[in-house]
Amino acid sequence: MLFEVLKDALFAAMAAIGFGSISRIPRRAYLWCGLIAAIGHSTRFILMNKDLLDMHIIIATFTASFVIGVLAVFASPLAKTPAEAYLFPSLLPMIPGMYAYRSFGGLVMCLLGSSQEKFNFYFYQFAENGLICVAIIFAMVIAATLPIFMFKGKAFTATR
Amino acid sequence: MISMTQTSIERIELHEPNPYLKSTSRLSSKEVCLFLAEYSVTLLGCGATCIRLEKNINRMAKAFGKKVELTIMPRHIHMTVWDEEDDDRFTSISSVKSAPISFSLNTRLSQLSWQVKDEGLSLHTARARYDAIASSDSEKPWLTLLLASLANASFCGIFGGDPVAMAIVFIATAAGFNLKQMLVRRHVDTRVVFFICAFVSSVIGATDYLFPTSTTPAIAVGTSVLYLVPGIPFLNSFSDLLYHHYICSFSRFTDATVLTACLSGGLCLGMKLMKVGMF
Repeated sequence: MLFEVLKDALFAAMAAIGFGSISRIPRRAYLWCGLIAAIGHSTRFILMNKDLLDMHIIIATFTASFVIGVLAVFASPLAKTPAEAYLFPSLLPMIPGMYAYRSFGGLVMCLLGSSQEKFNFYFYQFAENGLICVAIIFAMVIAATLPIFMFKGKAFTATR
Repeated sequence: MISMTQTSIERIELHEPNPYLKSTSRLSSKEVCLFLAEYSVTLLGCGATCIRLEKNINRMAKAFGKKVELTIMPRHIHMTVWDEEDDDRFTSISSVKSAPISFSLNTRLSQLSWQVKDEGLSLHTARARYDAIASSDSEKPWLTLLLASLANASFCGIFGGDPVAMAIVFIATAAGFNLKQMLVRRHVDTRVVFFICAFVSSVIGATDYLFPTSTTPAIAVGTSVLYLVPGIPFLNSFSDLLYHHYICSFSRFTDATVLTACLSGGLCLGMKLMKVGMF
């Protein structure tokens, strides 16, 4: 279990640093970015693990994103970088890529489907995955942005 | 007599700028407005949120002894700077600079706004520092390429991809991202860039089906295009929504949705070409 959590944290950290470099975060923020992503993603991993808390993916993502948001606000003065710089790279490993993929696939198959039975099946697949995907994205964005709104004083003086 | 005094102070300030000397001369609204307008279009263009732009601009205007009102539109910024003690006021409308997202530039411009307030920088010094910041925002393309490829391969690992799938995703991302860098340098339309890069990455990602040892080819295809997800516009869109900047919020959301549609189109075409089923 510990190995799985650490593996998840390592992959999340590597993904965050890579995506941080795409959005040109300052070099001094790389370490913080990786650390925040590792903590955030392993939090979600633990919350969703069937042997532990077995939480639903939407609630687990909301909680983990909130943790990322709070950490980003409090880490931002340490690297003198706006909190937003940490958010996207740290949240990206939680993007529901497979749900989006299945939803899009369902839509295409739905349009190409020849029978009503197939249409119903793929429409269900499109709607179910699409709804979960949208809900996860909203949960992520709301939970991660709220701490910046809540701790305005800290968030907007980070670069001082 | 008063005007002569002002002129001499301005002359001293122009020729011998002292960054730690608080400017005592009355600046004209026009020169302050022109500087703030240029600063704001650069800051918004590099991916800052509307609330950060408002705070930075108000902070600097106050430090220069001026009042400012600004209307932030998706492609333009409308700004009026005035002096409370006389009728001197100036309005400008500037086009937002289209530039790649850069939190490094965002950070340094935000730091500049605090320096103007805390160190009492003169307008001359602030502009000199702004010019230095705006002209020095560069990246090492090979380093970004390497880190982005590693990041996407890690993504594949997070989603349960096996080592073969991760290696394929690394190559698919490296090829797609390199192509993206080349097309962006040639000023190709962003939507076309997203479509082409998603197509190339998904075709390479789909080659994972050719390896009999690979057990997760669908994950390789699905994650090979994730480096293109326009996450920052989505996040900024929600931030703008929270602070009632609905027009900018809607614009950013629409931009991100259009890019996602282009990405999906490229992915779909790649999968069709490689005869890869959706499930």
